[in-house]
Amino acid sequence: MTNMHGMTPTQRSNRRWITVSLLPAITIFALLSAFPVFNLIGLSLFKVSWEEGKAVYDFVGLSNYKYLFTEEEIYWAGVRNTLVFSVTVVTFQMALGFTMALAVMRAGSIGRPLLTGVFLLPIVIPPIVIGTMWRLILGREFGLFNQILDFFGAGPIDWLGNPDLALGAIMFVDIWHWTPFVFLLMLAGLEGLDEEVLEAGRIDVRSFWQELRHVLVPMMLPTIVITMVFRIILSFKVFDEVYLLTSGGPGTSTEVVNFSIYRVFFAQDRVGDGSAMSLVTLVAVAGVIVVANLVIKLARRRASHSEDES
Amino acid sequence: MFDQTKKLPKMTRRAVNGLALAALLSTSAGAVLAADQPTIRLAINQSPWLDSFIAMVDKYEDETGNKIELDVSPYAGLLEKVRNSVRGAEGEFDLLNINSLWLSEIYSGGFLAPLGELSDGYALADGVLTYGDTVSWNADSNTFAADGALMGVPLNGNVQVLYYNTEIYAGLGLTEPTTWAEVQSNADAIQAAGDAYGFVTRSGRKSIVYNFTPYLFSHGGSFFEVGADGINVTINSSEGLAALDTYVGLATQSGPPSPGAVEQGDLIQLLSTGRAGQAIAVIGAWGGLENPEKSAVVGKLNAALIPTGAGGSASSAGHWVGGIPANISPERQQAALAFLTWFQGKDVQTAYVQAGGVPVRGDLAGGALSANDTYRFIDAYSANAANAVMGLPVPEASEISSAVALQLNRAVIGEMTSAEALNAAAADIATIMEREGYTVTRGDDL
Repeated sequence: MTNMHGMTPTQRSNRRWITVSLLPAITIFALLSAFPVFNLIGLSLFKVSWEEGKAVYDFVGLSNYKYLFTEEEIYWAGVRNTLVFSVTVVTFQMALGFTMALAVMRAGSIGRPLLTGVFLLPIVIPPIVIGTMWRLILGREFGLFNQILDFFGAGPIDWLGNPDLALGAIMFVDIWHWTPFVFLLMLAGLEGLDEEVLEAGRIDVRSFWQELRHVLVPMMLPTIVITMVFRIILSFKVFDEVYLLTSGGPGTSTEVVNFSIYRVFFAQDRVGDGSAMSLVTLVAVAGVIVVANLVIKLARRRASHSEDES
Repeated sequence: MFDQTKKLPKMTRRAVNGLALAALLSTSAGAVLAADQPTIRLAINQSPWLDSFIAMVDKYEDETGNKIELDVSPYAGLLEKVRNSVRGAEGEFDLLNINSLWLSEIYSGGFLAPLGELSDGYALADGVLTYGDTVSWNADSNTFAADGALMGVPLNGNVQVLYYNTEIYAGLGLTEPTTWAEVQSNADAIQAAGDAYGFVTRSGRKSIVYNFTPYLFSHGGSFFEVGADGINVTINSSEGLAALDTYVGLATQSGPPSPGAVEQGDLIQLLSTGRAGQAIAVIGAWGGLENPEKSAVVGKLNAALIPTGAGGSASSAGHWVGGIPANISPERQQAALAFLTWFQGKDVQTAYVQAGGVPVRGDLAGGALSANDTYRFIDAYSANAANAVMGLPVPEASEISSAVALQLNRAVIGEMTSAEALNAAAADIATIMEREGYTVTRGDDL
């Protein structure tokens, strides 16, 4: 027997049970996700100071946002750098990670675990060690890179001290650090591809490049999309490399958004301003992800449309 | 004497120590004696001088029987620990080691118990340095002031001094400079010789305000003046311009090619490897520079008074102050005060220096200690400590420092002229202070 919605009593009962059993988890998840954001929104409307050991909250409306958009020069330099950083490192990491995964897939039984181990090494090193290590490598006076250049009669180059090079040096370290993450996901994606479909696809292509373009990349697209979104989000979170290598300088050449927020929120204890910065950043990153998803969906739709036509 | 007291029964030993301390500190500490106190917890930073401080804690425990637990954090983490402790209903720590940069925030927030409220008429022992009156806070004017309430006792006197490499000086026939022109002249000579940088500044954004302060004040300038009517921004004055021109000249003509990225660690590395002929750096670096395992210039460096300009000589206060939180029990406050009182003693401070620490007394200069070559920095340190200033003596110091640092750094890396940088810094200071409700005045742009 079915009702007007086409559901049997058992189906209705099951649906109720599913809803009720999921409710606690959904509630906790919503609270954990939503509460910090609402707290941030609230704090961004206040100036918080301390008098006689007690916190004093002065409602200032949108003035923290006004200050952010009109006076906070360092934050906006950080926004520019973060965008450049994000686009550059994600592009390189995607290309390199995918290439490395392909190389491992084609390696022999001995080379495969060896290459996987070597490629994954940077991702297991703690950030503080990475900062120390690269500071020693990139240092102008005693750095390894400059010693190598010196051996060939070139340099020295001030990788971290030259405003024109410093952001590039930070991006280089980030690419080195996070490409293994892309490699790992790509490798998992490649290993999960249907071998029969791959074999069938290879019959129709003449070269590796055709296989890559017409078989591997289309089949890997879901993995590529997810990995790229992950990396975009993570690249906007860049902090430790900047904090440990350049502290945002020289000038504002390596300032990034998270470093600005850290300085305002923690070093300067400007809770209201820091909350406003955090919220603007949160909305911007969410916006970037939404736009990225839309672009990817459009591209996929266009690709499938052209396949249908062919 | 200390070995003998150890052989006495516990109570007798404490009584002897108590009497000795009372005699030693009778001019300042009144009835506060170090004996039979509860164990206290002290929040302190990991630093090159920590071992010397631990030696003093051990000495205190041996002499008094009181116990101190140290909670050691990296520099960057200590401030958050301090904030969390003083902002809670009951503090986790009984004694806080507070960096000079954080003093205005902690004092103005009302987190510390003024020492005069813990012991009537409490004052620092004669000879203890105040580092530009930074141990006292005037809540009415919201700034450091000698007539304010005594908020703490210095625990380490990390001011800046002029370092120079005596081997390089001897090789080039140079003499200890007393003016900025002489520093520049020596720097030119060292630079021309080609074996070392003539002068290294600490011009990275994290350090530049602290490093620039002696230049500014010795040229007769200041960041701003705090008055009863508000703030008068003075950084973009002719004195400020002369100071920044001197600073940028030394940084760009005599130092490493990218001086805008040099932070404290880089500077100390250049000094310790003999690559820097002269530099203004913290005296806290002395121990490392004299350690054969860390330095190639052991015995080859000397410390001197920072050069004199139109405004005399000046150093920037970078010391640490021990403060007692308001949110702990009176018993724990008294126990913390007992240690602070004991710590000021001249014998204790002498032992502190011998253990590798930087003293907080100015009267160790010119004595037997400074005659010992190992402690040859004492005279220069004491002279610089007496000239120490707190350049940004307001609760908004951290925000102002960040804004000014960017503009000064831009002058060093050539993005701006000195005048443009100072005008921009003055505008930033005015914006920040007006937003905080101060009445702000400032002169015309340069």
